[in-house]
Amino acid sequence: MKERTLLVVVLVTALLVVAGIWVALNVNLMPAEASTRAALVDQLFRAMLGLAAVIFLLVEGLLLYSVFRFRQPRGDDGDAVPVHGNRALEIVWTLIPALIVIVIGFYSFRVLAASEIREEDPLVVNVRSRQFAWTFEYPGTSVISSDLHLPVGRQVRFLITSDDVIHSFWVPEFRVKRDATPGQMAELLVTPTREGTYPVRCAELCGVGHAAMGLSSRVIVESDEAFQSWLTQAAALPADPIEAGRTLFTRYGCQACHALADAGAAGAVGPALDSLADPNGPHAHAHGGMDIRSFVEQSILEPSAAIAPAFADGLMPKDFGTRIPANELAILVDYLVAQK
Amino acid sequence: MTTATPALSPRRYFGWSTDHKVIGVQYLVTSFFFFLVGGAMAGIIRTQLLAPDSTLVSAEAYNRLSTNHGSVMLFLWILPVLAGLGNYLVPLQIGARDMAFPRLNALSFWLLVPAGLLMLASFFVGAAEAGWTAYVPLSISGPDGQTLWAVSVILLGTSSMMGSINFVATIFTMRAEGLTFWRLPLFSWSMLATSILVLTATPVLTAGLALIAMDRLVGTLFFSVPAGGDPILWQNLFWFYSHPAVYIMVLPAMGAISEIFPVFARKPVFGYRMIAISSLAISLLGLTVWAHHMFTSGMDPRLRVPYMISTMIIAVPTGVKIFSWLATIWGGKIRLDTPMLFALGFISMFLIGGITGVFLAAIPVDLHVHDTYFVVAHLHFVLFGGSVSGAYAALYYWYPKITGRRFDERLGKVHFAANFIGTNLAYLPMFLAGLLGMPRRVVNYDPRFTELNQLASLGAFLLAVSVLPLLYNMIVSWVNGPKAGDNPWKAKTLEWQVSSPPPAHNFDQPPVVTEGPYDYGEAPAGSLKPSPAAAGD
Repeated sequence: MKERTLLVVVLVTALLVVAGIWVALNVNLMPAEASTRAALVDQLFRAMLGLAAVIFLLVEGLLLYSVFRFRQPRGDDGDAVPVHGNRALEIVWTLIPALIVIVIGFYSFRVLAASEIREEDPLVVNVRSRQFAWTFEYPGTSVISSDLHLPVGRQVRFLITSDDVIHSFWVPEFRVKRDATPGQMAELLVTPTREGTYPVRCAELCGVGHAAMGLSSRVIVESDEAFQSWLTQAAALPADPIEAGRTLFTRYGCQACHALADAGAAGAVGPALDSLADPNGPHAHAHGGMDIRSFVEQSILEPSAAIAPAFADGLMPKDFGTRIPANELAILVDYLVAQK
Repeated sequence: MTTATPALSPRRYFGWSTDHKVIGVQYLVTSFFFFLVGGAMAGIIRTQLLAPDSTLVSAEAYNRLSTNHGSVMLFLWILPVLAGLGNYLVPLQIGARDMAFPRLNALSFWLLVPAGLLMLASFFVGAAEAGWTAYVPLSISGPDGQTLWAVSVILLGTSSMMGSINFVATIFTMRAEGLTFWRLPLFSWSMLATSILVLTATPVLTAGLALIAMDRLVGTLFFSVPAGGDPILWQNLFWFYSHPAVYIMVLPAMGAISEIFPVFARKPVFGYRMIAISSLAISLLGLTVWAHHMFTSGMDPRLRVPYMISTMIIAVPTGVKIFSWLATIWGGKIRLDTPMLFALGFISMFLIGGITGVFLAAIPVDLHVHDTYFVVAHLHFVLFGGSVSGAYAALYYWYPKITGRRFDERLGKVHFAANFIGTNLAYLPMFLAGLLGMPRRVVNYDPRFTELNQLASLGAFLLAVSVLPLLYNMIVSWVNGPKAGDNPWKAKTLEWQVSSPPPAHNFDQPPVVTEGPYDYGEAPAGSLKPSPAAAGD
């Protein structure tokens, strides 16, 4: 009898281990692996998933087995044979979980340390966030972009901050996020390993545009040549004033909150900017006597001066005056006024 | 003894009373009302999320709904429903005539009512919209309802602290003769562990909320970044309470199912002392883990690993409980009545919440899944699959004691089936959505997550429907159900040795306890040892 029990225990344990290994090797619940960190995190995750499968199957299995095996027979009104405890068993089920979490803790620490190793000559990118857009600045160049371009294979050192409330910079394919906290500069190291276009999410509730902020920016991982040529191209404004205006519209993140057909923007946090200059359009009453160029310029520099019906004051950042150079502001205003 | 009890008027439930049983029922009914309110909010949220670009509610309304859904469910449903169970049961289980401070007890309940109404009324002035976590600086600039929210949570915390002082005093000083700590029923043990945790952690949240309220009302600058305020300070204050709050919300549920397993398996609790000690261990360890909510924030990176370790260690006492429960039913004579089904459901679903908690504790994995739907799924498996299943199990188990009536067993099983399927259907897809890249608290989402969200919504709608058989059963059975008798489950704890419902002062003579609470199978079948309370006839 005792030998049979031992045999069953050994057999069940072996089956569980096989199931756990199968899960660890075959179940993939993650998106594409696009950074060195992603590969490390996924190994850890798969190992944990295998262990989790073993514990899950063991507990649910014992539960279901007991429910079917140990039912009170009809008509039996008595109690079961009393067992108050078993010291050895209790020690086993305290020590084994303790051992498992120690192993997981140690492994996690190794992965954490390995994913935060500094490499020579990283590419520095400043991540600035505000309600409700990301802007990526490349120090040493004049490039400011709402899409994040990165060369494959080179470590990136993100310096992350926020102009207003807390946001969280998250690229799921990189397997990492970092909060953007006002008044703080956070550092994050990522080495992209796979070319492609991935979403940039905002993971911290930041206000009414939180969902939109997580849907507005992309990261484009590309070859070093493609990256360099993008950088050169992005530094210069196109010669055509309309194209230049369109570039600035996205560069300063306007598209995250405002809809504008010409720029493919569909933001709904602030008013739509199509047909601003139309004397019979939806904006006609707002600028009343004011000439349209001054009205648009005022709305960018002093957003509280005139609030469109059905929109709240205080959502649009008030510091565009210090961030947009005068020549670019003029191009942007011309572009907006030119929209029919 | 039963016949000597004068009939108690149902009207006593509708006014000021210092009877712990009346207050217990008042807590249960009031919190259930708020559960329905929070559930209605969840219904709107899940309807909105049926399509990725749905416009059923505005982004502003969505943030207000999700903020208050969380706040109502935690502060006005789970905490008070468990406080209600504690109020009703602890004095009965320890052989006392009432709580140590009956008037303080009534006051704790009557603070709940205005606090709850205040939170709901905030919708008229622009409800809080910064999440139940109220992260600064977002929560400083929100609408007026944010201030009402803070005041409401301060009141609820105060109510909770008053209740906890009462539980600690009652359990320490009012136990019947012979009721040593090692004979204390496990539900009362869990209320003791919970109360210690409430008294340690809640004042910290209250202080933080006072700072927010002052920043908003009188222009202090505790959390103003330009003035040098630190947003991370709020996160520390908030999580110092709000992580232990999870244990505050799950320990009493664990206590309740620790009562249910021995009764419905007709076996003593396996490892009684280890279960009691593990409750205390979870309480104490629970105070050392809060910053695992801040791995992605601006905390000092060197502090992350200690918090990871303390968080993971909590899996050990939790595992002790789960294995002890399994060993309790192993070799038993199991009866699958509704309370037992919910208790088994608790284990199978809380297990998922527990295991995924270890994933969240592992820093490298957390940096990916933090603030995503993975967390939403995890916390709902802990709090809905766990705490709410435990509360349901307890409601069915003690229903005959509280009302003196039996509920309809078939309706109970229908409720269990709908709740079990609905919970898994609603929350399992969320794990995958989070891993694949869906952040939490979003009114619209990437269309690649549409199917997962539709499955989750389907589960949520099933959960909404599952409340109907419960409500019908609880109301109709109270009026029309067959008489329950004093001890329909043949349980051994003291509350079952008095009439159902218990007489006004619980015990006509102070009981004397001579054995443990779960000594099943020790006496000849069907003949409980006469307890001194019953011997008083």
